[in-house]
Amino acid sequence: MIDLIAALLMAVAAVTSIVFTYLAVVEKNLIQAVVFSAVQSTMYALIYFLLMAPDIVLVYLPVGVGIYPAIILLLIKKTDKVDE
Amino acid sequence: MKVTDLVVAASIVALALLLSYAMFLGGIGPVPVRSELRTLALNYILLTYNPAKIIYSALAPEGVTAIVWDYRGLDTYFETAVMFLAIISVVALTHGCKVRIGLGKGGMSLIVKTTTRILMPLIVLAGVSITMHGWLTPGGGFQGGATIAVATVLALVTYSIDTLAKHGIRKKILLAMRSTGLIGIALTAVALLIIGLAVGVNAYIFQNQERMGSPLAFPAYFSGTPTGGSLLFYNLFEAFAVSAGLSLAIIVTSLREEEVKETLRGEGVE
Repeated sequence: MIDLIAALLMAVAAVTSIVFTYLAVVEKNLIQAVVFSAVQSTMYALIYFLLMAPDIVLVYLPVGVGIYPAIILLLIKKTDKVDE
Repeated sequence: MKVTDLVVAASIVALALLLSYAMFLGGIGPVPVRSELRTLALNYILLTYNPAKIIYSALAPEGVTAIVWDYRGLDTYFETAVMFLAIISVVALTHGCKVRIGLGKGGMSLIVKTTTRILMPLIVLAGVSITMHGWLTPGGGFQGGATIAVATVLALVTYSIDTLAKHGIRKKILLAMRSTGLIGIALTAVALLIIGLAVGVNAYIFQNQERMGSPLAFPAYFSGTPTGGSLLFYNLFEAFAVSAGLSLAIIVTSLREEEVKETLRGEGVE
């Protein structure tokens, strides 16, 4: 039963991550694209947690949600905010 | 968001679901059965903390850290070196750029600053905790170091780069910390080898506990708690190196146009 719930949660997280990846690719506003990408990272972190890989979760959360969006946002600040 | 966007997203999701269903039915290839543990995995699980077979054991209950820093230590060392190289190149691009105090507006509002002041010690504490339990629970040097670097990101965004520079978080200091961490890892890797050469006993590079033909070992317990021997030092130095390195990358990318322009044009450099 618990296995089934974990598998279902993983499926939901995986499907959500696909949607957000697509949104991050097509979004013209780069700041929103970074936020979509961060949501996708969070979904991946959830999948890693459900796959019983807590070591990867602990590194994926600070890097995927903290440092990577921060660096991209700092770089966007130096260029245009909208991709034409 | 247009209707076409939704249609494309839905079709990508449908493709992924169909592919996974085909995989589940075995259409793409045989699916490994989950309940079976491979011999290699079983060996690591049985030997990672096994005082009866010390010559194969890392004496650390956390298998992942034991594999990363003991059984496969050399791989991890070169990974760390690659990341160090990346950060060196980022720093080399902005060589000679200095933070000029007074260019920005001085950060966000008082509310955000106060909240950050409360949150930052907690983030650093969580990072230290992840690092210092790396050989007992999931986590380790890289995880802890990355968490500590998030505190720097938060401080940079809310307080501005000027405040960081005033408090001594500068490029040179961070680079020195980063190098200290990497040198520490290298020294830990050859520590037993040097002792072995001095005493005249056989020893190996990246040796943790007693190995075949070598009686030397790092202390495996501290007041009754397992320390994983060399894993303690590796985790500490790695956290040091990673937190300083990632903070450095963030600070360098947040340098302002006025500070970088002269160097990029080639002025002001001898």
